[in-house]
Amino acid sequence: MSAGEIKMNCAEVAPLLVFFACDEVGAEERGAIETHLAECAECRALLAEENALHESLCAIPQVADELDRTGMLLARCRSELAESLDEMAMPAEPEKWQPFGWVRRWMALRPGWSAAGLLAAGAILGVQLLQWLPTENSNIKGTAMKVSAAPALSDEQLAKMAVGSINFAPSVDSAPGTVQLQISAEQPVTLSGNLDDNDVRRVLTYVVRNSDRFDAGVRIDCLDALKARAHDGEIRAALLDAIGHDQNPAVRMKALEALREVAGEKDVREALLDRLNIDSNPGVRVEAVNLLVRSLEVESAPQVAMQVDSDMPMLAPVAPSAAPPSSDPSVRRIVRALEDLQHSDPNRYVRLRSAAALRQIGPSEVQ
Amino acid sequence: MADNTGRSGGTDAVLATVTSLPELDERSLVIEAQAGNRTAFEELVRRFDRDVLRLAMNLMKRPEDARDVYQEAFLKVYRNLHRFRFECSFYTWLYRIVTNVCLDHLRRRQARPEDQAPEVHMNRQDEGTRDFFEIQREHRPTLDPERRLMGLEIRTKLARAMERLSPRERVVFEMKHYQGLKLRAIGDALGTTEETVKNSLFRATRKLRQELGELR
Repeated sequence: MSAGEIKMNCAEVAPLLVFFACDEVGAEERGAIETHLAECAECRALLAEENALHESLCAIPQVADELDRTGMLLARCRSELAESLDEMAMPAEPEKWQPFGWVRRWMALRPGWSAAGLLAAGAILGVQLLQWLPTENSNIKGTAMKVSAAPALSDEQLAKMAVGSINFAPSVDSAPGTVQLQISAEQPVTLSGNLDDNDVRRVLTYVVRNSDRFDAGVRIDCLDALKARAHDGEIRAALLDAIGHDQNPAVRMKALEALREVAGEKDVREALLDRLNIDSNPGVRVEAVNLLVRSLEVESAPQVAMQVDSDMPMLAPVAPSAAPPSSDPSVRRIVRALEDLQHSDPNRYVRLRSAAALRQIGPSEVQ
Repeated sequence: MADNTGRSGGTDAVLATVTSLPELDERSLVIEAQAGNRTAFEELVRRFDRDVLRLAMNLMKRPEDARDVYQEAFLKVYRNLHRFRFECSFYTWLYRIVTNVCLDHLRRRQARPEDQAPEVHMNRQDEGTRDFFEIQREHRPTLDPERRLMGLEIRTKLARAMERLSPRERVVFEMKHYQGLKLRAIGDALGTTEETVKNSLFRATRKLRQELGELR
């Protein structure tokens, strides 16, 4: 032992053996420990234990060896890191200012309160708005008209539809009555409304125009419903079509009845004159005579009460003359047609009614 | 990882250096990465991430936690690389970050053990891990049944003893025995003195000896 060497005892050496075993002591300490170990069997035994422990620890396989034998975990870590770096490299989008953002955050944190609040707000808003929203029938006097379940019908649906029933409730005043139609067009549909409703009007006029597809009773019901809107060009055209083409005289009679209020119109008068010549049914011809007389009455003296009794078309009473001026060519046509009918119509009642009509129109015209 | 065009760098100068990145020394790579060369940073990662993941796996003993440590550590490095002033080696600086992340995770785990999944213990036969002596090289005395039994018992007790260590003791023990770092380097990595590290290692060894003492 040299003079500079440090002398250590067992108490000093023992705690250093841990570091001596793993080569973590300085050169001076190492020398002193080695000197002590050469003389002390007890400390050598301690060092042997320390070395054995160190060996045991080093021999034990590490968790990393088991967890990532194939290197998959490392590859996955690298991939995830690259994705994170890509995200960091992307420029951050400037945060947009969101009005009422604090309300959304508050609601997100309190979903129960938010739901209750929204329901309450919706109920209050709905009650308040109902007072101000105009209802559909607010501009119509009299009976309330309600359109419910009125889907838009396509032409294809119309072509395939079958009418189950028609319920017509006439109005007490000038307003059109309510029509309820049960139809089957791919699936059962109920239309409810008045003649201002486009779908109702389309169905009714379609039935009237397509007499071969629908039952006569249905057609008559449709005409009954259309009667109130005979002034409407579209409906009048459908009514004229019915008196010209419908095979059933009862339906044609109903169509004529529906045209009563517009008998003075030129197109209606022309259609009536045609009926006088070509309609095979005497009742229809008599009704046509009645309407022609009526048209002249309305034209010359609207204030005069109606003389033709619709309940007794065949034997209408003769009324005082109310003929318009003879210079009117349309009147002269009617007179001529009635004169022909009076002489040549095969049906006696038609001839009688024509004669009565001529007397009703007036002597001047007859001459 | 990024392609070789250096997406973040983008300049011709950077592109010129990309081709020779693997040949650059650690300092040059760090300088390139500090200049914004993403490829240089990824080369740095590739040089050290195997050891980092190994340390994380040995300390955390769960692959999911090790992945979290890996991600968190390297993202911290990426964000703070501009602050690195070469006052120590990049390796030491990197390990300081990694060990701090590991310590945070271990401390959180200690604070809330009920939230943690069980660790992977090498000794559990029912988990499909093989016996220690079965995976040793052939020159080891694997055919000695008594030694196999001893190895199994040592691992069981070591795993139990490791759980008794504090996070810092665990890190020091791991870095010393399984990463092969000197105590001074461990002190640098942990931002503490060599003496403190020595104390931690001594306490850790004493606890382990108590657990394993009967087997020696």
